[in-house]
Amino acid sequence: MNALLQNVRSRFEDAKAYVKGHKAKVTRIVSRIAIYIFLITISYVFLYPILRMLSISFMSASDLVNPEVGWLPSKFTLINYGIAWKVLNGTVSLFNSIKYSGLMAISQTVISALTGFAFARYEFKGKKFLYTIILLSFIIPVPILLITQYNMFNEFYQLIGRTGQGQGIGSYDSQMLMAFFGQGVNSAILIMIFVNFFKLIPNDLYEAGKIDGANPFQLFWHITIRLSLSTIVVVFLFSFVWNWNEDYVTKFLVGDGIDLFTNQLGKFDSLFSTRTTGLTHPDAGGEIQLVESFKMAATVISVIPLLLLYFVGQKSFVQGIEKTGITGE
Amino acid sequence: MAKNRTLKALTSDSRIENQNKIAYLFIAPWLLGFLTFVIYPFFKTIYNTFFKITSESIGLTYVYNLIDKGGNYGTAFRNLNFFPQLFDFIVMEFTYVPTIIIIAFILAVLLNTGVKGQGIFRVIFFFPVIIMSGPITGILYWNGAGSLLTYADNIIFKMILSYSPQLAEALSGLFGNFTMVLWFTGIPVILFINALQKINVNLYEAAKIDGANGWQILWKIKVPIVKPTAFVCAVFTIVQLGTYTGNPVFYTIQYSIYDRGGGIGLASTFAAIYTFVVFLLVGVAWFLLGRSEKVKKVELSSIQRLGMEDLARRREQQKKGTVNAQ
Repeated sequence: MNALLQNVRSRFEDAKAYVKGHKAKVTRIVSRIAIYIFLITISYVFLYPILRMLSISFMSASDLVNPEVGWLPSKFTLINYGIAWKVLNGTVSLFNSIKYSGLMAISQTVISALTGFAFARYEFKGKKFLYTIILLSFIIPVPILLITQYNMFNEFYQLIGRTGQGQGIGSYDSQMLMAFFGQGVNSAILIMIFVNFFKLIPNDLYEAGKIDGANPFQLFWHITIRLSLSTIVVVFLFSFVWNWNEDYVTKFLVGDGIDLFTNQLGKFDSLFSTRTTGLTHPDAGGEIQLVESFKMAATVISVIPLLLLYFVGQKSFVQGIEKTGITGE
Repeated sequence: MAKNRTLKALTSDSRIENQNKIAYLFIAPWLLGFLTFVIYPFFKTIYNTFFKITSESIGLTYVYNLIDKGGNYGTAFRNLNFFPQLFDFIVMEFTYVPTIIIIAFILAVLLNTGVKGQGIFRVIFFFPVIIMSGPITGILYWNGAGSLLTYADNIIFKMILSYSPQLAEALSGLFGNFTMVLWFTGIPVILFINALQKINVNLYEAAKIDGANGWQILWKIKVPIVKPTAFVCAVFTIVQLGTYTGNPVFYTIQYSIYDRGGGIGLASTFAAIYTFVVFLLVGVAWFLLGRSEKVKKVELSSIQRLGMEDLARRREQQKKGTVNAQ
């Protein structure tokens, strides 16, 4: 017994001596471990809603009310997804979301590239003023513009006689028009990404092009665009994702006209009662229909396309934000 | 002939002139859109606030009503919801924005220490930016998925509650929705990492030679250098919180736009006051974070001013001396 104690004590002394001798190393390891614990904790908090959402989306109604069921449902069920898909009008919504986000992203990318090229390459009167205005336009809250925009579009559609079903207000025309004229979601950031990247292209290339007799549009197409494919992808991805997630402006200018993942999700509760008549959850508790698990399944469905995009273009997204160059230059 | 043209193109005068016009052509679509969809609506909405606007079959009719009990502004002020919610919104901005920026900075500094698996952490911290939309934050918010911390039973929280209920309320708004707060750090983290990586390593070396420890390097080098980035992040967060469903004033403004009975004039007034508040908040952010460059200049000029004051005093004394002599 005594020997054992002595042994432990000597080990302890050894450890103490080691710590004393390698103080810097020990502090470094300890701080490393602390950093990891902190980062992992924060990551858990970040992912918590998503994990919770995933877990609930597989639960049946009885699991939802059962306090003993924590994270893992007692039996996995995919029925929630089927019903959620139905409530979201899945096939139509998916097609529409991809179509409109894609179209908007394309026009935003093209217009931002043209504008960014002018700001990066040329000196012209009012350049500084206009660039400052682009930055300032970013902080204007949406509601103050939306009220008049709505009235403008309303009058415009009446003027040209586009007021029927699926035309005018209630169609995507208004937002397409705004995107085409460079005023889509976060256009200011997209322009800034282009300006900062285009500035990096060496001037010599343009000089060479000019000597060969290229006009400005040829310079733009053959030099700028050819060299910036990666940036174009970044801008397109951001624009696509932002348009996909946009629902504030859409709510007013499109309303119920078009089924999109985002706006369907926003009014899930009201859609649920109309689109699932005759359908009941296998083990729905009598009168009470628990919408929770369907709603979570719907959220998962609407997020999956974005997550796929993110895992494919993960590096592009991060680089895109770095490329805005709004950090100190 | 062609040679002449290129020669002409290379002479500086004609080149600059040509370029000017071409640049306008490139920005034409954007500029047109900006004037139509931003500048005009902005001022038109402000103009709207002075009128009672009713929708008639012939179109909108405008009746000036500012003199009648303060018009729309008076109605907005008497509205039982709007100003309290606006106040809550300001409280939210003042608690959320600093928290978001500080957490983003801490995360960026930690990720920048060269920990292994940095890439994975970055992916996790950035992914909310991709999926964050009104409905999703709304659903997660109402289902309480955002409230991870059981702060209400915490002894410190109870102490604060008994000491100052207002502060406790602001804090519960923050911690009750802590995950959503974290979700706003996605872009700031990336911006901070980028800013930190741009700091010249020689600066750290020089500081170490002068005997500075990590803590001092953090406060004397890293914090001042990333201050402009912090300003950008603050502005970005203020703007993002504006379209966030948890924003207390969000629904009032939205319904006022929907509710045509309340009048476009009143809706415009809500929006205009709200915009004014957002601008004020950005102004506060600029006041606190955006002026790092100027501080230096003020220091210099104050030294210069001291020198000038000294000179002026001496001159005055000289004058007095001459006056006395006379």
